[in-house]
Amino acid sequence: MVIDCDVHHTRKSPNELLPYLKEPWKGEMIKYGGRYLSAGINSHDGGNRRDIQPPNGGSPGSDPHHMKEDLLDKYDYSYAILTGTGHDVTGIPDADYASAIVSAWNDHTIEHWLPVDKRYKMVLWVAHQDPQQAAQEIDRLGDHPDVVSVWFSSISAMPFGNRFFHPIYEAAQRHNLPIGIHPGNAGAMMAQPSATAAGMARTYLEWHTGVSHMYMAQLTSLLFEGIFERFPKLRFYLVEGGYSWLPHLMWRMDAHYKGLRQQAPLLKKLPSEYIADHVRFTTQPLEEPKKHEHLLQIFDMMDAENTLMFASDYPHWDSDDPPYVLRKLPESLQQKVLHDNAAKFFGLD
Amino acid sequence: MAFQFVATTDEVPDHGCKLIPYRKHEIGLFHENGAYYAVLNYCPHAGAPICRGEVEAPLTASADGTYTVETDRPVLRCPWHHWEFELKTGAPVCDIKQKLKTFEVVVEGNNILLDL
Repeated sequence: MVIDCDVHHTRKSPNELLPYLKEPWKGEMIKYGGRYLSAGINSHDGGNRRDIQPPNGGSPGSDPHHMKEDLLDKYDYSYAILTGTGHDVTGIPDADYASAIVSAWNDHTIEHWLPVDKRYKMVLWVAHQDPQQAAQEIDRLGDHPDVVSVWFSSISAMPFGNRFFHPIYEAAQRHNLPIGIHPGNAGAMMAQPSATAAGMARTYLEWHTGVSHMYMAQLTSLLFEGIFERFPKLRFYLVEGGYSWLPHLMWRMDAHYKGLRQQAPLLKKLPSEYIADHVRFTTQPLEEPKKHEHLLQIFDMMDAENTLMFASDYPHWDSDDPPYVLRKLPESLQQKVLHDNAAKFFGLD
Repeated sequence: MAFQFVATTDEVPDHGCKLIPYRKHEIGLFHENGAYYAVLNYCPHAGAPICRGEVEAPLTASADGTYTVETDRPVLRCPWHHWEFELKTGAPVCDIKQKLKTFEVVVEGNNILLDL
């Protein structure tokens, strides 16, 4: 039994969104299509797995019946959490447009995907450019029985500990929904102050490797800005941004905090001690050190037995299927990582 | 170890791939520019059906702005994770230990034989 925390469904065409868009966005979509960000690099060499092709056409992940057979049935899934496609949306400067689009995505998922199989669950997309509108979207659909979390991309104008985002966190806590952070796609990287910790990336390869920089910075911000003291029931899960960096970050945060605690006065315990109650990580892309024993040591250092959850990233080019991940996990972690940790985190039976 | 007939040449068009059952897996029989290659349809990385990937010409660079697309060097790129292996030898393009299993191919007239 598997719970997959990151399954990228999509639309067969942008026109599928039209019934869920109000004006002026509907008219714009009809006349001009959707808005997309491009950073002038080749992201297509990543893209989707090349062996996935829905029989009735459309891009991989666009057919709920095909995905059911190719993923849920094939690997005996308990649940597949649908996370959508188009993670550049939170880099689009027009917050009204972005809010309307993600709202249409949510309605489209409810109508087109959830009825196909009860094992489909969904994240609730919000555009964090306007936290008030994001909170309204959480209030609109946050209590839907198949919504298991709030979701946005890591492409942001400022780190997530900033008080600008508080309305989103208040709403997520109010509805008892964790928040998933997923990398924005490379096309949106120029919408950030810095595409990587060092600056602009030349290639998709360089940007994708550097996603972990961004995640380290986001988690540092969430912890030091006291988000989990301000919102004591709020939980985050960090998707597709790695986790081998976590021991280093915890040690460094704790070490600095001991001397500079005055700069994070809301905290009541060591920064790393908030992680057990508030933060989870997902497996994909599985870290692959030359010596597998080193990965096992990382698992031990980050308490993976309780903090790590399975994600496939289906149907993307670097997706990991459950048998592959199982082979890399010690027996003591298999059940918890593939199923139990996510079941507990999302409240899925 | 013996050569066995597996297909006729007209069953494997140029730039095509024919899958042949082999023990618990399959063998992918490829035809690229007049040459035939046979590899196990099982990626040594994550166990993907690698023969559903694409045959590409690898890109190399000797200096900034000096690129070479090696069209005489067919490389099979896995549909999962996009790892590259030499179609002829199964050797990885990157300096890693994983290697794709290959089979010796002999063409006699219109018959393709594999050393199984």
